[in-house]
Amino acid sequence: MFGKGLITGMRVTLKHFFGKKETFCYPEEKLPMPERFRGGHLVIDYKKCIACQLCSMACPNQAIELKVVTDAQRKRHLTSYIHHMGRCMFCDLCIENCAIHGLHWDQNYEISAYTRDAFDYEVLTDDDRQYLKEVMEAAAANPAPPIVPKKPAAPKPAEAPKPEPKKPEENKETEVKPNE
Amino acid sequence: MAGTETYTLNMGPQHPSTHGVLRVQLELDGENILSAKPIMGYLHRGIEKLLESRTYVQGVPYTDRLDYVSSMNNNFGFCRAVEELAGIEVPERAEYIRVIVAELNRIASHLVFIGSLAIDLGASTGMLYTFRDREEILDLFNLVCGARMTFHYIRVGGVNRDVQPEFIEKTYKFLEHVPVFMEEYKKILLGNEIFMSRLKGISKMSKETALSHNMTGPNIRATGIPYDIRKVDGYSVYPRFDFNVVTGKNGDNWDRFNVRYNEIFESAKIVRQALDGLPEGPFMAKVPKVLRPPKGEVFSRTEGTRGELGFYIVSDGSTKPYRVHIRRPSFVNMQGLNDMCRGYLIGDSVAAFSAIDPLMGEVDC
Ligand code: SF4
Ligand code: SF4
Repeated sequence: MFGKGLITGMRVTLKHFFGKKETFCYPEEKLPMPERFRGGHLVIDYKKCIACQLCSMACPNQAIELKVVTDAQRKRHLTSYIHHMGRCMFCDLCIENCAIHGLHWDQNYEISAYTRDAFDYEVLTDDDRQYLKEVMEAAAANPAPPIVPKKPAAPKPAEAPKPEPKKPEENKETEVKPNE
Repeated sequence: MAGTETYTLNMGPQHPSTHGVLRVQLELDGENILSAKPIMGYLHRGIEKLLESRTYVQGVPYTDRLDYVSSMNNNFGFCRAVEELAGIEVPERAEYIRVIVAELNRIASHLVFIGSLAIDLGASTGMLYTFRDREEILDLFNLVCGARMTFHYIRVGGVNRDVQPEFIEKTYKFLEHVPVFMEEYKKILLGNEIFMSRLKGISKMSKETALSHNMTGPNIRATGIPYDIRKVDGYSVYPRFDFNVVTGKNGDNWDRFNVRYNEIFESAKIVRQALDGLPEGPFMAKVPKVLRPPKGEVFSRTEGTRGELGFYIVSDGSTKPYRVHIRRPSFVNMQGLNDMCRGYLIGDSVAAFSAIDPLMGEVDC
């Protein structure tokens, strides 16, 4: 009989009409994200970070822009960590390549913004900058003995921790992106 | 009496039923289609070139953006090609996990097909049901890799992380659910007379025409040719699983629908067998930090959701591929559009696009 299929279909719809709701009221209720969820802003464990720049080199899209200084003890520190979220594809490579496993996502999925500029997200917090200041001062008070004892220490490989030793101060924009 | 003239109609690039930005130039005589010419390129992002300027490992997330409703299959294809090039042996557990996620993704993609076909034919409820069930798969993927669309889970040498027991448990639960929701679609769509008459006998295509257009995937299986790379090549661990290649008879839209509908059951079968036989062991091979495959070239193909997905990679021994070419099934399948539309009514063209199941991300690459 023509129309029988239609009626069967209608019956299914009707059943769901009175059944359990599949949706939920989004802004009021929020879905919890699983532990592995990739999304939101980057969070850095600043005190552990060794400014090796592996994260920015691993990024396929050059979405991470780092600025590095070297203190009087010839240790490197990040002064700024900009995550260009508009370029980011949340592939997780930066996090997986971090030398100290000190990067992770804050898992906040409500990251839309009104302007493009808002997507250039500064990962370092005020606390981190405060910490940097303290470390820099402490290092200046107790500089490493040899070579140049001035504050922005000589750009020498010195005790460079991990990757290729290059002049830290010039890393305005990290364009080197081989390997990894 | 006044003479009649043919009329050219541009359908798309912004048209809700073209699944993205496809433009079709229809040559019409009244309501009859004389020819349909797909015009592509509106979504071109240059992924092949992007891959050439990234290292092999960095290239994997870009393949997510090809066929974005079944990214796992793209990751799978690309990683297989790179592994073949670099001679990397993938651990068995990784192969099983890959098959599980790839087949789950195939189910998700076919659900999108059923839903979008339904909505293109005017049955908007049909879409909601399939998307509801696809959501379960996306949640599974979110659990295992942390993303719902662009997974980047299958990596060169294995998979990113091991599956959790929770994932396995939930996948079993989902498999139990498959026959339930398929039965529901049967009630809503398959028995629906309007749905049936919009598809049966429309856009018929013979085996020869399909072959001459080089169509692959469900589109060629609908014409009755049992061509499935999973069987033909038997790559990965597929030969260990028992599954059938679903074929149609007439090569019309109804068969195209049915092939995909039944493939969901077959995929579910594979997933169940793979879960049952999931071996212990490492989930990632030892891949050198700086991957430099030896000089040479490789063409590796897998059965993507939409057909034969091939990656051709030339290595010059450096860290980046010298050349990458992607054989995208959607793009090749689009060549059959003219034959599927010619002689039918303009309303059927919508069903024809839908039945080819092109994905513009893959058509334009
Ligand atoms: S997630 Fe990927 S694209 Fe985004 S910053 Fe990290 S490496 Fe770059
Ligand atoms: S990879 Fe990790 S340790 Fe190195 S600079 Fe980035 S956040 Fe710091």
